[in-house]
Amino acid sequence: MRQAGAYSGLLCGGVSGRTGPHSLPLARIKKIMKKSGEDVKMISGEAPIIFSKACELFIEELTRRSWIMAIQGKRRTLHKDDLTSAVIATDIFDFLITLVSNSDSHALGPSTTTVMEVETIDYS
Amino acid sequence: MDQEEQDRALPIANVGRIMKQILPPSAKISKEGKQLMQECVTEFISFVTGEASDKCHKENRKTVNGDDICWALSSLGFDNYSEAIARYLHKYRIAEREEKMNHNKKYEGSATKTLNQTQLIHAPPPSLSRVTDMVENPPTTNQSG
Repeated sequence: MRQAGAYSGLLCGGVSGRTGPHSLPLARIKKIMKKSGEDVKMISGEAPIIFSKACELFIEELTRRSWIMAIQGKRRTLHKDDLTSAVIATDIFDFLITLVSNSDSHALGPSTTTVMEVETIDYS
Repeated sequence: MDQEEQDRALPIANVGRIMKQILPPSAKISKEGKQLMQECVTEFISFVTGEASDKCHKENRKTVNGDDICWALSSLGFDNYSEAIARYLHKYRIAEREEKMNHNKKYEGSATKTLNQTQLIHAPPPSLSRVTDMVENPPTTNQSG
């Protein structure tokens, strides 16, 4: 019977069912990698495993930086604006500027509509 | 985020769990915050993969491997991740080799298991806090294995 290695448990998201920090689905990571470009044809078995660790570090860093923004705003709830502020304040997160800006403009949609409704009151 | 977008991103539950683990217990995270983080991580994967893939293409290689990911992380400014990931990759490869050796030995009729192999096979994967420690406080001496 094949014995589980120290890291092969990552393949099923945790052998014992413990929700450790390695619990990111490798198949999904691989899917995202493949969609990133036409040049990406073959991916080694270790790449999604390495990425799952890299993603954890990324999430950790962005969360920490966003939390600082929330604290500065005297809040204990992390909002998407905190993530946006953290992205803008961090050089290596420049690749996310377009994404967070688009996300902000989507959020502006409903309130913009509300303003327009106020401005187009029917006086007839 | 519609269902199709959800299927393309990492699961929000997993993302939210990782976020919660490094925040104080009393901290809360809005649903929109988790959703934005989902999108950011997806973009991170695409961004780094693109860089790694370009490298492979220039070197006439077809397969993106762990070393390419490490290189891409460093190239894009994620030096601290790159070092921790390089160590993780090294341990992963050793564990895989040990597992293979163990598998081969079994079929050669040997029931001998070294203590090191048993320890390595049953050692839990490095926790996030340990990796973070490794990122922030890299060991000054080379650890074997």
